[in-house]
Amino acid sequence: MKESFVLGRRAIREALRTPDALIPTIFIPLFFLVVNVGQTARIFPSGDTPFLAGQNYAAFQLPASLLLSASFGSAALYLVEEIEGGYFDKLRATPIARMAIIAGRLYAELVKAVAIAAVMVLIALPFGIRIDSGILGFVVLVVLVALWAVVFSGFMQLIAIKTRSAAATQGASLVFFPLLFLTPNFVPRNLLTRPMEIAATLNPVSYIMEAVRSLILDGFDWPVLGLGFLVVTVAGGP
Amino acid sequence: MSLAVEAVGVRKHYTGKDGDVEAVRGVDLAIPPGQVFGFLGPNGAGKSTMVRMLTTLMTLTAGTARVAGVDVETDPHGVRRKIGVALQEAGLDPRQTGRELLVLQARLFGLSRSDATVRAHELLELVELTDAADRRIKGYSGGMKRRLDLASALVNQPEVLFLDEPTTGLDPASRVTVWDEVRRINERGTTVFLTTQYLEEADQLCDRMAIIDGGLIVCDGSPADLKAALQARTGSATEPTLDEVFMDATGRTRARSAGDVQEV
Ligand SMILES: Nc1ncnc2c1ncn2[C@@H]1O[C@H](COP(=O)(O)OP(=O)(O)OP(=O)(O)O)[C@@H](O)[C@H]1O
Ligand SMILES: [Mg+2]
Repeated sequence: MKESFVLGRRAIREALRTPDALIPTIFIPLFFLVVNVGQTARIFPSGDTPFLAGQNYAAFQLPASLLLSASFGSAALYLVEEIEGGYFDKLRATPIARMAIIAGRLYAELVKAVAIAAVMVLIALPFGIRIDSGILGFVVLVVLVALWAVVFSGFMQLIAIKTRSAAATQGASLVFFPLLFLTPNFVPRNLLTRPMEIAATLNPVSYIMEAVRSLILDGFDWPVLGLGFLVVTVAGGP
Repeated sequence: MSLAVEAVGVRKHYTGKDGDVEAVRGVDLAIPPGQVFGFLGPNGAGKSTMVRMLTTLMTLTAGTARVAGVDVETDPHGVRRKIGVALQEAGLDPRQTGRELLVLQARLFGLSRSDATVRAHELLELVELTDAADRRIKGYSGGMKRRLDLASALVNQPEVLFLDEPTTGLDPASRVTVWDEVRRINERGTTVFLTTQYLEEADQLCDRMAIIDGGLIVCDGSPADLKAALQARTGSATEPTLDEVFMDATGRTRARSAGDVQEV
């Protein structure tokens, strides 16, 4: 346990020393947010669109951007690099559980994701987005997004450790990509076309997105929130 | 007192996409504590494979091995606590500083933060990296990386130290520094198991050595014994060099094939 934190702090240090890897994690999702909102906001004026609950369309889109930024999984690439470079063997030669090495990276991922999600929400606030559930809701939102980041990164790290290849790990992250978009990304689930609605209903990421969105638009909607956390917990189980 | 390294019938078969390789084909070792043991052999002989098995980084296909009295397969953590290892490719984290890497390594061996800091400081002095200690490893030269790797193998004051080609790629001065270091570590009671391509290194450092070729040990003994045995066998007037012992044992000379013919 202690080892995981020691290793986690090292992974955080690593992230801070490679800011160029963090920047896309924040700015690519923000870019999508600006472009998507810029292109579609006129279709969804805040006054006449019931599902916006009086907010602007950016508030509706923000959860998608937050989840996108939580799904970069760059930590797994560091792990591959570490395995290929041989440092992993040096860690393995110490009397710690192999899981501690992964756990350390996941801990770092949690810290990183909390910071990134918080920064992104703070950047979004001046554009007229309100968190309807208040400060506490902001905290819950950031934690939920960060937990998803940990789950996603956990999957990626397992793939990294099994395949030991950067190409395969990057490929695997593309497999996850559709999961982010087969969601109620642009409109609520009940307004989607039938096939997309089915896909979104089957897709666990939808429920996380809806939970995050409910915190922004509707305050604390416990059933939706509960479902979001349940999905993260179940997915994080293995 | 138990042996520092004891291997019985150790084998390693790699099975993979590129076909099967029998890298180690039945190796027995019995190294008493306190020695510097040299493990020599041509490229691909199986030296690194043997080191990785003895240091719990790789499973054995067959056989058993105990290091510092502990079985590598049934109690790998027990072995890890008692050994240090510097592999052939110095695997270091380029984004940490030398000091951070050593502190981290010491912490993973259970030292407290303050003990780890002290230990890192001592080791940096030992391998003469104090000046570069707070620079990122990315900027270290090859020799500096090797010395840091050696230091990282010593954080837990190991009973048995494994060094896979510790001086490959070092300049002559650094090589002598490492030799001195190995001697000093050994004098403090650590058994050293080192592989090398340099016969002079084995001659200088080792109490005993074994030569492995094609996954089998082809001869072992003290450097002096091996030379004497070859001299007795060839009947040459001058004492052979360790190079000649090596060439003879691994069948890489014309003299050996001539010898074979004479024996027929
Ligand atoms: N991971 C692996 N998968 C398949 N074969 C391997 C692997 N590692 C080593 N081998 C093979 O096992 C044999 C022994 O390799 P090993 O690295 O132990 O040799 P070595 O004596 O250390 O050589 P060198 O002096 O070049 O370091 C070689 O034929 C090598 O190709
Ligand atoms: Mg080798």
